[in-house]
Amino acid sequence: MSPPTQSPDGAASNGLTLQQAIAEAHRCLLCHDAPCSKGCPGGTDPSKFIRQIRFYNFKGAARTVLRNNPLGGVCAYVCPTEETCRHACLRGEIDTPIDIDGLQRFAVEYGRSQGLTVLEKGQDKAARIAVIGAGPAGLAAAANLARFGYKVTVFEARAEAGGMLRYGVPAHRLPLEALNADVREIQSLGVEIKTSHPIDRENATALLDQGYAAVFVAPGLWKAFELNLPGKDLQGVGTALEFLELARTDTQAAAQRVAGRNIAVIGGGAVAMDVAHTARELGAQRIYVLTLEGLSELPATAAELDQAREDHIIFKPQSRVVAIAGQGGFVTGLQGCETEWVVKGKLTPDNARDVDGTGFELRVGAVIQAIGQGPSEVVGRILSQAERKGRLVAADAVTLATSVDRVFAGGDIVRGAATVVKAVADGKRAADAIHKMLTGTEVTA
Amino acid sequence: MKKRPSLEVNFCGVKFPNPFCLSSSPVGNTYDMVARAFDHGWGGAAFKTVGLDYEVKITHPSPRLNGYNFANHKVVGLQNVEQISDRTTTENFTDIARLKKNYPKHAVIASIMGLTHSQDWVELAKMAQDSGADMIECNFSCPQMTVEGTGHKVGQDAALIETLTKLTKSGCSIPVMAKMTPNVADMLPMALGAKAGGADAISAINTVRAISAVDIFNYVPMPTVGQKGSVSGFSGAAVKPIALRFVSELASDPRLQLPISAMGGLYTWMDAVEFLLLGATTLQCTTAVMHHGYRIVEDMNEGLEDYLADRGFQSVHDIIGLALTNVTDPNGLTHKTQAISLIDKDKCVGCGQCLLACRDGGAQAITLDPRRKAVVDENECFGCLMCKHICPVEDCITYKTVPHHLAHLATA
Ligand SMILES: Cc1cc2nc3c(=O)[nH]c(=O)nc-3n(C[C@H](O)[C@H](O)[C@H](O)COP(=O)(O)OP(=O)(O)OC[C@H]3O[C@@H](n4cnc5c(N)ncnc54)[C@H](O)[C@@H]3O)c2cc1C
Ligand SMILES: Cc1cc2nc3c(=O)[nH]c(=O)nc-3n(C[C@H](O)[C@H](O)[C@H](O)COP(=O)(O)O)c2cc1C
Ligand code: SF4
Repeated sequence: MSPPTQSPDGAASNGLTLQQAIAEAHRCLLCHDAPCSKGCPGGTDPSKFIRQIRFYNFKGAARTVLRNNPLGGVCAYVCPTEETCRHACLRGEIDTPIDIDGLQRFAVEYGRSQGLTVLEKGQDKAARIAVIGAGPAGLAAAANLARFGYKVTVFEARAEAGGMLRYGVPAHRLPLEALNADVREIQSLGVEIKTSHPIDRENATALLDQGYAAVFVAPGLWKAFELNLPGKDLQGVGTALEFLELARTDTQAAAQRVAGRNIAVIGGGAVAMDVAHTARELGAQRIYVLTLEGLSELPATAAELDQAREDHIIFKPQSRVVAIAGQGGFVTGLQGCETEWVVKGKLTPDNARDVDGTGFELRVGAVIQAIGQGPSEVVGRILSQAERKGRLVAADAVTLATSVDRVFAGGDIVRGAATVVKAVADGKRAADAIHKMLTGTEVTA
Repeated sequence: MKKRPSLEVNFCGVKFPNPFCLSSSPVGNTYDMVARAFDHGWGGAAFKTVGLDYEVKITHPSPRLNGYNFANHKVVGLQNVEQISDRTTTENFTDIARLKKNYPKHAVIASIMGLTHSQDWVELAKMAQDSGADMIECNFSCPQMTVEGTGHKVGQDAALIETLTKLTKSGCSIPVMAKMTPNVADMLPMALGAKAGGADAISAINTVRAISAVDIFNYVPMPTVGQKGSVSGFSGAAVKPIALRFVSELASDPRLQLPISAMGGLYTWMDAVEFLLLGATTLQCTTAVMHHGYRIVEDMNEGLEDYLADRGFQSVHDIIGLALTNVTDPNGLTHKTQAISLIDKDKCVGCGQCLLACRDGGAQAITLDPRRKAVVDENECFGCLMCKHICPVEDCITYKTVPHHLAHLATA
């Protein structure tokens, strides 16, 4: 029979239609031992779900995605696929790589439009497990533990689940409905998410004393780094995390900070690009991006830079802010200076030096710093006995076990600023390891 | 967890965990291959056709295949000049015995072909039964077995089919299935011959005699073996419409009433559903597996199960033959209504393919408006819907049904 011609109601709105998905799947080479599947850090197995679409097994495709990756719906929007699955795609050697994330999104959204719920709770087990943090790492661990049959409680400091996905990643890249749908499916497994419930006084081991058989700690990185500059306390100086969270939770308030003003963003990575584009959408005037890196050295991806060009972002590469100027307590401008690398190719702040006679001034009404983030102080409290790796938490690469018995940790708190799909991978591994610890059963893929 | 529909089928008293089987061909050539197929989820397998090796030593021409490609679609059809198994009779039956031992829940079908004496069929049937095979498939249909008294020539002679089926039945007590060739004007007399000989089931179709391509620079048909090519068996997606026809004809004839194992171009679960709706009980597959490997059955099983679940069916048996009452002779089709093409202006991209198709092969009913959007003259459109079939834009062209423009002339 030829492919169905009617697209399902409401499926993949603005995403690939049924026929587009089939056509795209037909471009796939259906590689043996497919590189794209190896390229997915989360084990989502794209080659399998693409093949399923190719053979009209659309619901099967949704099952593959979500069984392998409980946040597969979200990942289809936010994964940096040009570095993961698409990067590995061999079709790219012929012309262009397969739209893997597009097909993943199609699979999940088509399945859901057909009323499909993929994840199923496992046979009830007595043990209760606690998870700290409802970001992707915590949610993935919770989902898989519930699929093993454990009773899982997730403690989340914020008002809603999702972590950086809800409060960081901007709306233009991740519609909340995609996140909510994944979260709903995880909750349908009986996972209890206690929101507005920070674990911030007691140690994680206190949860063990309360009867939890194991704890998975995944609080992410929420302390934004800030430059120690003259004028740093002026109103209008802030961090990317604050600004993006505000844009997500109170768009009007965020708009008030930037609308009609010139703004300066400090930093040249993905987060800085998110800030720049969000500011553009909220009506900022001239948007400057100051980076220590040269244009060719920016960590932002080609697609992000394309977007920045389209947004008329003004780059100030190889330059830094020397001081922030203000009047009446408010930012009015900044002084900057061009920089060069002392040792070529070593892209660290301490290797940048000012170039004489290159000082400049910008008139701006807001300065937003996107220069990275680290663990917040509470992490030190909840993991006071655990071994650290610098600012981060040390955990076994395979089991995610910390140095404290029955306490596991994963996601950004272990890896440093990483990605959603890697956080998911950690959650999955920790769930496997906890299950193995409690039952002695090895989990096979 | 909700109860999922059962894919299990009962075919001549043999239980198949699902209807999907390898058809007799290189995809079921050895123990290891079939075992791997079972591990992937195939419910049964017709082992590669076995003859008596002490009578004729089989070898294959080389190259033995040619792919029929269309545009950039590879192997829309496949031509082969392969013979029956080139392994020894003992090797084959030993493999079948081992399969039954290690995969007792899967169905193993021994495909057999007598090569020189009619008594060969009796002997092979005995060997098949002794090996533990669940049933026998008589290969009356290979287009390139040219030893006299074999291949599709047998399949074109109803009396011979009856005799050989009878002989096969006399050598065993397990069910016997007769595999039909499509290289006949009417398959029914052949199937009825098999029934008269005691066949328990019919399988169809074997390959269609064809020339898939000609090497236009050397003037030889493909596949070119030495300096020659030949008319031989053609299979794959391109033959599915032919297979669907034969299956529906067999299934709807009141005289036959035998279960059917269908094959010819099975690629996806949707193809499977079509065969089932037209009366098949089990399904066999070769070319798609040769192309994409055993793994594709995973999608067939899952897709078929979803189809049944979504429509509230409990079992594959619930859908067998459901479309048969809707198959009619062309002169049983009404002439009282007709279709009128409807083109969605918002979706139309203005390529004009429909205009060309309608102008040069239809009713000259389509024009392009000043914005290049296609417009149908409803008075001219005679509803062939070629425009709809070729339109590259999803859901852009649909149709409505109206009283026939020439209803006053219609006799049907
Ligand atoms: C602006 C921005 C954009 C990004 N864009 C992308 C992208 O497009 N693609 C991508 O792959 N990655 C992106 N990332 C990175 C990605 O968001 C992170 O790698 C990922 O979210 C890390 O997951 P996690 O579960 O470890 O932590 P988080 O997502 O940070 O979640 C941790 C959760 O724990 C909660 N928590 C913290 N402390 C406590 C406590 N004491 N008690 C209870 N709860 C607590 C937090 O409130 C939070 O909900 C982006 C990051 C940022 C900042
Ligand atoms: C290379 C090749 C070898 C085959 N050998 C046999 C055979 O030995 N015995 C037989 O009954 N059919 C044989 N067939 C026919 C298949 O079993 C099947 O009837 C036919 O290919 C149609 O199904 P398909 O379109 O799924 O391939 C062969 C087909 C091919 C392509
Ligand atoms: S989860 Fe992300 S990296 Fe993995 S296959 Fe899907 S889009 Fe690609």
